[in-house]
Amino acid sequence: MSDLQLQGDGEPMETSTYVALSQATALRNELDVTTNNIANANTAGFKGERVAFESYLQREGIGTERRETAFLTDSGSYLDTRQGAVSDTGNPLDVALQGEGWFAYRTTDGQTAYGRDGRFNIDQQGNLVTLNGAQVLDVGGAPIALPPDVGAAVSISRDGTISSPANGPMAKLGVVTLPDLQAYERIGGGLLVPPQGVPTQAPIPDTATELVQGAIEGSNVQPVVEMTRLMSIQKAYDRAVQLMSSEDDLRRDMLRRIGRPT
Amino acid sequence: MKALGIAATGMLAQQTNVDVISNNIANANTTGFKSSRAAFQDLIYETMTREGALTSEEGTARPTGIDVGLGVQTAGTVRLNTQGGLLATENQFDTAIDGKGYFTVTLPDGSRAYTRDGSFQLSAEGQMVTLQGYEIDPGINVPDNTTNVSISEQGTVTAYIGNDPQPVEIGRLTMATFTNDAGLKPLGNNLLAASTASGEALPANPGDPGVGIIRQGYLENSNVNIIQQITDLISAQRAYEMNSKAIETADQMMSTANQIK
Repeated sequence: MSDLQLQGDGEPMETSTYVALSQATALRNELDVTTNNIANANTAGFKGERVAFESYLQREGIGTERRETAFLTDSGSYLDTRQGAVSDTGNPLDVALQGEGWFAYRTTDGQTAYGRDGRFNIDQQGNLVTLNGAQVLDVGGAPIALPPDVGAAVSISRDGTISSPANGPMAKLGVVTLPDLQAYERIGGGLLVPPQGVPTQAPIPDTATELVQGAIEGSNVQPVVEMTRLMSIQKAYDRAVQLMSSEDDLRRDMLRRIGRPT
Repeated sequence: MKALGIAATGMLAQQTNVDVISNNIANANTTGFKSSRAAFQDLIYETMTREGALTSEEGTARPTGIDVGLGVQTAGTVRLNTQGGLLATENQFDTAIDGKGYFTVTLPDGSRAYTRDGSFQLSAEGQMVTLQGYEIDPGINVPDNTTNVSISEQGTVTAYIGNDPQPVEIGRLTMATFTNDAGLKPLGNNLLAASTASGEALPANPGDPGVGIIRQGYLENSNVNIIQQITDLISAQRAYEMNSKAIETADQMMSTANQIK
């Protein structure tokens, strides 16, 4: 009777397999995220993504018989906000941000989005737009439009004032800091949008960030770091799979021994 | 495992990058050529856990979600419209634009194209034409027995005919400007065409405010910066290698998973 009792409270045979499985699954997610970072190693204004892991504790039994099994789960991914390297392009409509700030855009579907991509263009109506056609917003949150004859012959000062010799100051690029940045959703194209249905603090106008005309901010992905991460993911995955295999061997061994008469 | 597909988008992007860089290097000595660069953007993100998902009945919410990006795409090739260096040629029909603007050319089908290549020649009929024999618009006819042609900075073309010491004005080189230069569609042969992205051509005269001036006897060299292109080529190759390493890792991990039996 007491033997049966023990078995009821004890851990199921497969638990360690499932612990290893939880790690393997989380590692596959991390591999996907790391690969995406590597694929975007040359994407201007790109910010790397990191996966955060946490343990998920399963409690069984009570008192001295209490057992805790820790499974691994990837609880979230967060944006690596470090500055990317600023490189010179000579294009007057390339603007790099140096500091914490973000550009504000109005996407083609009318949404306000934020990003660090300063590869601007002028469309046929004279609007300052990104490569996707999203309009760039000024300090007041209105789309920036330039007179048609100005073209790319503009100068952009370190505080974002766009001017030309003939027209004088025409607009000021809006740069904001995002207090709830990590809660923002990435929608591709280097854009971040506020999460739906969750209250977030409003963006704060930023004056500390400097703008550099004729330069772009490169991706902040560090190749060496990503490559070593790839290696360590693979090694950890190998170990997890190894654990599952040896657990399987143990179980088979046990079944063979139990099944044998005398 | 999405990593295989993600890394494949990375390799494709770097291939495009190398194609664009190679074209720049190949045109390093092409008159009026403007270098391009491939511009990349990250693809959409797959949200595995939403930001703000409730974690308790008291209303606490997840501060971050899990977003897995699906790779990279080429958003476009951006032409860098900076001034190329001017090269003295001594040829009287060679003209370079110093500043903003394009020459207008009439294509054989009657449509208009635009170019920065001012290496003009004379046709058998005395018309000023491009190296392909396309007439410039508006056409300029150089009379027979012209001894010398002079083109002013404002584009006025004057000819000294025969022994007449007084020059005769025979036409004016005009220019076209665009709201969005980068939106012009390249046609090859140093020609560009207007598109919906560039907007209609805005006629202008050389020397107008904000418009370039004409330099006779010069050609505009390409604005390709070879050192920049070579370093870009190196970084493109390394990025390609990195993506192939990611594919290798994903492949080995799948092979490991297959060994569990």
